[in-house]
Amino acid sequence: MDAFDNRSLKWVCAQIASMDYAEALDLQRRLVSARIAGNLDRNAVLILEHSPVFTLGRRGGLENLKVPESFLKQSGIPVVQVERGGTITYHGPGQLVVYPIVRLRDLKMRVVDYVERLEEVMILTAADLGVQAERNALNRGVWVENRKLGSIGVAIRRGVSFHGLALNIDPSLAPFGWVHPCGLQGIRMTSVSKERDCPVSMTLAREVLTRRIEDVFGVQLVMTDLKSLP
Amino acid sequence: MKEIDDLTIPDLRFAQDHEWAKLEDGGVRVGISDYAQDQLGDVVYVELPQVGETFEQGAVFGAVESVKAVSELYMPVGGRILAVNEKLEKAPELVNADPYGDGWMIVVEPADLRQLDALMNSAQYLAVLKG
Repeated sequence: MDAFDNRSLKWVCAQIASMDYAEALDLQRRLVSARIAGNLDRNAVLILEHSPVFTLGRRGGLENLKVPESFLKQSGIPVVQVERGGTITYHGPGQLVVYPIVRLRDLKMRVVDYVERLEEVMILTAADLGVQAERNALNRGVWVENRKLGSIGVAIRRGVSFHGLALNIDPSLAPFGWVHPCGLQGIRMTSVSKERDCPVSMTLAREVLTRRIEDVFGVQLVMTDLKSLP
Repeated sequence: MKEIDDLTIPDLRFAQDHEWAKLEDGGVRVGISDYAQDQLGDVVYVELPQVGETFEQGAVFGAVESVKAVSELYMPVGGRILAVNEKLEKAPELVNADPYGDGWMIVVEPADLRQLDALMNSAQYLAVLKG
């Protein structure tokens, strides 16, 4: 798709049906350490869904709760503080999450360029699934008019990026209503299935997303299982 | 994106992770390089340590957030934090506008000045950037 197209470049990729947030965070941190130390000699991508969780970015975000904390406790949905950029967000079943563990220097990409590529992955995936999404000057991520379809938050440790993107395919949108997502007031979240007003196959969405990562980064994703990762 | 030749690289010491360090009366002033700020894009938030905290060389002393990306900051030399740039709380964009001046981040009381001498000089840093 551009001058960087080079399919001989291979990244390893683990397709994970569903993983608890804390467990995925541990895995990411382990992979980042391995990538820095050189025990992981290729960039890696995790594609997964999370069980329901609210996460706070480096700048926090509890002030963006629209319901009392006790309400969240009752809902049984945990709140986790993490090192990524951005503020509060929700993850849950029906949302595809991508965590690329990549050495930015190898990509010859600035942080801003990398974030734009992640947006591009979401825009192309949404288009393949019949939804026209775009960037919005309001905020990073991808949008359908003023409705947010996908979010981005990354962290960079010793030149290695982790965390990534979350694209709403067919999640329950109710928990997003309990917060000001990303610290923005007066915005609504949306999903591919809501925009299309019909259910969307998660299997299909995952296939499309995987292919679009390959296109946008000009790489071949080599499937691996978790046991083969450091 | 700036071309390498458009980057400002003053006569300072530089660490592998793009922090600069400058020996002054009373301490070592630290910030991030012009290259680093250009890589990050618009800085929206800078997290700095408390005065009095002590960190080893290479330890994380803070973080800088741009476009939904948080990058860690590392001590180019170990030591105690003597001052932090409180202006960055209200005006994080100074890191982009003036990375070697008003965009400075911390002043460190160095534990061992030999660590400073072992950092790259501007010519060596430029060579690394040219890769």
